Formats: sequence, structure tokens, C-alpha cells
Amino acid sequence: MNRRQFIKGTAFLLNSSLIGSLPRSRPAESYPVTLLPMASYEIDLSREIASAISEDGLAVKGKRVILKPNFVEVHPGRPINTHIQVIANVAEACLKLGASAVIVGEASGHRRDPWFSVLNPDLRAVLDKRVKCVDLNHGDAVRVANRGKRTGLSSFYIAEPVMRGDILISLPKLKTHHWMGVTLSLKNLFGVLPGIYYGWPKNLLHFRGIDNSILDLAETIKVHYTVIDGVVGMEGDGPIMGRAKRVGALVMSPFSLAADATAARLMGFDPARIPYLAMAGRFMPGLNGSHVSFRGENPKRFAMRFDCRDEFKSMRGGPFW
Amino acid sequence: MTQRNSQELDPFVERLASLFLREGGCPYGEGGKASPEPTILSLIALLAAGSYEDKANSLIPWILKHQTENGSIGINPMNYGWGTWLSAHFAVFCHHYRLRSHLENAMRFLQSFRSVTLPRDPKAKQDNSIVGWPWVPGTFGWVEPTAWAVIAFNLCGMEQNPRALEGRRFLLDRCIPSGGWNYGNAELNDRELLPFWDTTALALLALQGTAEEKRLSLSLELLEKNQDKINSLLGTAWTLLALKVYSRDTGRLRPKLISVMQTLNDNDFNAAHYAIGIIALSGKKVLTP
Repeated sequence: MNRRQFIKGTAFLLNSSLIGSLPRSRPAESYPVTLLPMASYEIDLSREIASAISEDGLAVKGKRVILKPNFVEVHPGRPINTHIQVIANVAEACLKLGASAVIVGEASGHRRDPWFSVLNPDLRAVLDKRVKCVDLNHGDAVRVANRGKRTGLSSFYIAEPVMRGDILISLPKLKTHHWMGVTLSLKNLFGVLPGIYYGWPKNLLHFRGIDNSILDLAETIKVHYTVIDGVVGMEGDGPIMGRAKRVGALVMSPFSLAADATAARLMGFDPARIPYLAMAGRFMPGLNGSHVSFRGENPKRFAMRFDCRDEFKSMRGGPFW
Repeated sequence: MTQRNSQELDPFVERLASLFLREGGCPYGEGGKASPEPTILSLIALLAAGSYEDKANSLIPWILKHQTENGSIGINPMNYGWGTWLSAHFAVFCHHYRLRSHLENAMRFLQSFRSVTLPRDPKAKQDNSIVGWPWVPGTFGWVEPTAWAVIAFNLCGMEQNPRALEGRRFLLDRCIPSGGWNYGNAELNDRELLPFWDTTALALLALQGTAEEKRLSLSLELLEKNQDKINSLLGTAWTLLALKVYSRDTGRLRPKLISVMQTLNDNDFNAAHYAIGIIALSGKKVLTP
């Protein structure tokens, strides 16, 4: 499918006053995932992203949208973070869809200096001037009851700008992870917790169990949409020290786990063998591949085998399609 | 209080003070709630910048009332258990403002506040049995909170305290072999991690005058030779502070820091980071004895 065909199939909702308010009729247990080809970061896909978001029924018009990329740490030349062009494309899509405000927010996990995340001039240069950037590590936070309780923490302190948003869109990077196997949208929620409470790194979450923390946050914080940057992912010793792996796609869904499970399959992992994804499947939809309906490209086109540390090789599976 | 430092700092001090709240304290940014970290760092910055008693007086009662019975101070005035790493910053403030009883209580807390030790991890060559200071009680030790705690011990004349000695051992153990400090580990899976400007400078400040110069020279050179690549307010300020204490070349950093602070827009303003900028520009050695 080319770009023109994709838009033709989905753009009818764009700029409609009914965007987001159409009733969504979907067969039982069918969770949409859109695979959007993106061969290079130089391509402007904001129209296609807007079309997919509309098609998924997310009402953006008049809403305050928080974009949460992954800016865990910067190493020159390593594809650690969500690419700034992906952030810019999604921000532009939200503006096209009539968002009242678009805010890029991140509480970087390793770097206290926000110059390496939301203050970075390269990011600012590619964003529309209407888009604001907020450092979620420093500032006010809201105490929210932990709905998961696996960590034993009664509550989380969540950065106030996230709580004041109407819509949270997670923009993780497609990567392997040296403790968890893979890091995607669910793990990306660590970055809404301010470092002034949790530190750099957020070591409390490690001590309470990274998997427990991921699951507790997934139950506590509503993510309305996920766009995974799989244009260039990371294989091997991720999430920091791995190698670039080109996949050439964005993985998009209103269902975080469906996006994550699909992304894991694209990397050659069976999500049911990745403990935290498998456990998330008990309370979130989208783990089971037969329940996912694909739009955009056929996933076969992007399926590959990511190199990983030996301890995660047992999590591999497939072929899935 | 020291004498007025320089009129050059006035605009920066005024901008910082414009955030101070009538009810006391300083928020991180415009419209925020008063928060202990920007309040404490503002107080240290006011002292470094000269005699700004009137401005400091509006902050002092607010911060002192948040010290808990165990001597700690947390990041959240409504829930003191969080962010007690800030107790080291509080101790530095109390030392400079000669608030003896508050200082003694803070130092007592810092002596009891210990990071968790762990068995040796084959992925990292570091010695996990050394105790430092954590961000959060009951967790592992990290470079920044450990460096701040060691700085507090040094300033208070407690540099020979066993916790301070172990804290310095912790920092030396975490030093990246080719120079500098990451936020925590030096190496992982036989590969060196990337040094950060802020943590490298903080560790150097904590180790000044107490560690073997040779072990620090690579880290000093790292900051010195990368001056042109350091562009952030936080990175520039910390690097200026560290290099100045070691009497290294800082010629390019000061004008850069002034420029960064002058051009910072309100949306990106972080009072805690801005205060560190003022401390660095003041030239006062408020973080070393």
C-alpha cells in the first residue's frame, strides 16, 4: 500500500466536525493496529497519522494533548530516543485534528538536564511554534492512587501537566531492554513520574520490580493512543547500548498492549513469553494476535528478528504472520 | 552574609526573585507551587550573589518549617517521605546561613540515610558493597545525591566522618576509567557508559581537596576539553563551578552561561537550575570549604 492509497482509505474523516464523535462499531475482540510505512525520518506523515487517529475514533478536537516520547538518555549516534521527526509528525497531526493544545512532556529517566530532552534545540526546531515542551522531572505533581498494587506502593506522584491533559499519546521507541526483553509503550509510562520524586534513574521502581511497576502504571494511567517509533529501532543490548535496526514503520493503536504486542512480534518476540506483556494481557486487551485487526501495511513486510541478550532468546517466537 | 558580589548579577537575581511567592518559598516555574529544591538553591544563590537579605528573608521561614523531626527535608511539603535526598542541599544552606540547630539535625539525618548495598553484579565492575546516598529511602546509591551529601559533610568540617569517607570511596568507584561520571554506573557489560557534565562536575566538587589528583585529572580534562560542546544552563553552570574550584581554564564558559541565562524564555525557566547558574556566575566557592 502506498501513501496515496492509505490516505484515500482513511482521510474521509479528516477535518470533519464529527471527528471522534462517530460511534465506533467493531466486532467483539478486534483491536486495530495501524502499520504505517516510514522509510525515512525525512518523510512528512502527519496527514497519514491524523487519518489513522481519526479512523481509530480518538476525538482530538478542542482537547489538550500530551505527547510522551522516550528521551531516556542521549548518546550521539545511538537510536535510543523517539526521533524528533516522529514527535513533530504526531504533533502536527494533532494540530490538524484541532487539538486546543499540544504539549510534549518527558521526565527523562537518566538525565536530569532537560537540555537533553524537551529543551533540546533540535527538537524545538522541528516542532510547530504552537507546540509547547515541558520538563516533567521538575515541577508540581499530583498524587494518584495506585490501582495495581503489585509494587506495594499506595500511590504514584504523576507530573501535573500529564494530569491536566485530556489525551495522553505515548510515543516510545522500538527497543530491546537488558532487563525486560523489550521496552515499548507500557514501559514508556515511567516517564510521567517526576525525577524529583523518583530519582535518576527511577530506582524505586526497580526495587519494587520493573514488571510490577509497569503493570501498576498501566492500570493507573490511561494512555489514549500509542505511536511506536519503529523506523529505526534498537537491537542487542538495549535500551542504551544496543545497535540500530531499521524496521521502517510506525506502529499505531488506541490499545497500548495491542501496539506493544504487535511491535514485539515485529521484533521476533512472542509477547506471550515476555512476562510483563503476558501479565498485562490479563487486564488489557490486545495481547492475542488473532484479536488484532491490521490497517495500513501487512505486518509481514516489517517482521524481522532482533538480536537480543542470551537470557531473552527464549522469548523469541514466530513467524507470526 | 557575604558582601554584595557584583551588580552584573542583579538582573539574574531579580528574575529569580520575581518567582518568589508572597506566602513564602519558590516554585520551579511560573504558576507553580513553592517547592523545597528551588527555594534552597535560591537561598544559596542569594548568598553567593551578595547581600540580598530582604529577598532571603522571605524564603527562610518557609523552608525551615518544612524540616521534619528526624532532620530531613523532602521534596513535597505535603508528604515528607519523598525526596529526602534534598536534605543534603538543606544542610548546605543551613551551613551558610549559620542555622546551627537545623544544620545539626540535617547532618544527623544524613548520617543515618544510607543507600542499599547489593551483591556484585557481573554486568558491572563496580563495588556494590560501598554505601552512598540514594534518591529514595531503601534504594541504591547514585552519584548526584552522594556528591551532594559529601559536599555537605565537607562544608561542615566533617570530611573525616566515616560516612563522608565512604561516600568519597563510592564516587571514586563509580568514576568512568577514561574520565567523568555517568549518573550511576561507570561500565556495563564491559563497556564504559557516557559521562554526563552535571554529575561529573558535582563529583569533582565533592572530591576536591580530598582525592588523589591523578585520579581526577582525566575527569577535569574531559570537562575542560568539552567546554564548547556543553550548551545547557545546567551543564555549563556545573562545569564552570567545578573547573573554577580546580583553577582550570573557564574562559569560554562564563560568557556562554550569561548568554544562556539571558535568552532563557519563561516557559523553559527552572528556578533551581537558574539558581545554580547564579551560583556559578558569582564565583563564590559555596560548595567547597
